[in-house]
Amino acid sequence: MEKQLVLPGALAATTPRRMDGCYIDGGKTYVSVLSLKSGDKIIPLKGHYLPRIGDYIIGIISEERFSGYEVDINAPFPSSISARDIRETFQVGDVVSAKVRMVDEVHTAQLVEPRKLYAGRLIEIESVKVPRVIGRNGSMLALIKEYTGSDIFVGKNGRIYVKNGDIALSVMALLKISSEAHTSGLTDRIKELLETESKNSPVNHGPQKPPVQQGPQQEQPAETY
Amino acid sequence: MAEEETAAMSAGKVPKKLIENGIRNDGRKPEDLRSLKITVGVLKKAAGSALIEWGKNRILAGVYGPREVFPKHNMNPNKAIINCRYAMVPFSSLEEHGRFGPNRRAIEIGKVAKHVFENAILTEQFPKTMIDINIEVLQSDGGTRVAGIVAASLALADAGIPMRDIPCGVSVGKVDGVLVADLDKTEDNLGQSDMPVIFSPRNGDILLFQMDGMLTKKQVMDGIELARVASAKVHELQIEALATKYGAAAAGEDDLQETA
Repeated sequence: MEKQLVLPGALAATTPRRMDGCYIDGGKTYVSVLSLKSGDKIIPLKGHYLPRIGDYIIGIISEERFSGYEVDINAPFPSSISARDIRETFQVGDVVSAKVRMVDEVHTAQLVEPRKLYAGRLIEIESVKVPRVIGRNGSMLALIKEYTGSDIFVGKNGRIYVKNGDIALSVMALLKISSEAHTSGLTDRIKELLETESKNSPVNHGPQKPPVQQGPQQEQPAETY
Repeated sequence: MAEEETAAMSAGKVPKKLIENGIRNDGRKPEDLRSLKITVGVLKKAAGSALIEWGKNRILAGVYGPREVFPKHNMNPNKAIINCRYAMVPFSSLEEHGRFGPNRRAIEIGKVAKHVFENAILTEQFPKTMIDINIEVLQSDGGTRVAGIVAASLALADAGIPMRDIPCGVSVGKVDGVLVADLDKTEDNLGQSDMPVIFSPRNGDILLFQMDGMLTKKQVMDGIELARVASAKVHELQIEALATKYGAAAAGEDDLQETA
């Protein structure tokens, strides 16, 4: 499908349609952020993470309160974990995966099911590039996991936690995806990178069975207090 | 040539006539623009940025946010607030040495630029946040407010902030009794009138309109039409600047919607 760069103010549809990166004015739909137009689909190239109910995200505890925790979720809006929903305690700076339970009209999110992430590396990319990192039916992620043996948890908000296996190689591949997200033939180039790098790397895992697990990490912190 | 002119100007000598045989001092026709080049994404740490080189003007625009409002009492629970700062560096101007930071004139320009962006940005999508727009004039030669707004518009698009449109514009004025577009500093200082106009190219709305000096009603209306034509050229260059940075993305064939 032919793709075309469209800028704010470009006509997206002659009928009012609710789409990402668009707004409606006078019964017509216009583009509001830098996007690619493919057919009548608008794919934003830029954007800020807006929490939605059911999203799995990675947050950083930013403040402790009597009522719970404030969490930085890489969005322009605050979000919190209620003390009522959790038994464990966190410290400021802890990295947690969590699910968005509720979002109010000013985009303030309430998070549930927090799990502390530890002994891995956290990287941050733009949230609009997350679909690319995951790939169709998780193909891209499976590819990286296969070559590096890492466990990778991708948050919808653009934060990625990498644990176990060849962390350095996983991070290298993920950052490459992020910087070349909108080019074609990316899967092949990532495969090439993984093949050459994993041979040179001291930690040679070779192709392994991809871990089937996807979504939040299942394991609990070794020590809960 | 340009150096000789500026040297003559700083010595207090000014050209006797600004327009001779329909040709302006710098060789342009009345409706011509100066050379214009915009580069998007020049600052790594800013969410979005742009550098505009318009004639002898050099203006840097940087956008930060949306982010938490500070000071907190400025917060608006319905929409994002916009802070716009316009400032000239002390060495920006050819004659005055100036002082650092915004002065009375700079505060005014920051305010009118803020109103332009309040009408362009979809502020209601980001309640309780603020967006900072910084316009820093490194070298000035007339028409810096429109040039600054043109650059900041691209910085906002680069930052991915949702906008109704990419504002564009130009200043028009009357020099030696002739309506001209894109005045430089000599024409601005010695001409009869100067009128910066910013448009919303999508529907032709006027987002900023100011005037110095005197014009008749007809001249104002003709001036706006002149500005409309000239700013269409500016808008083309804005699109080109964004395409230079993001054009490669359009060449990609892969489906970007391949979600899990």
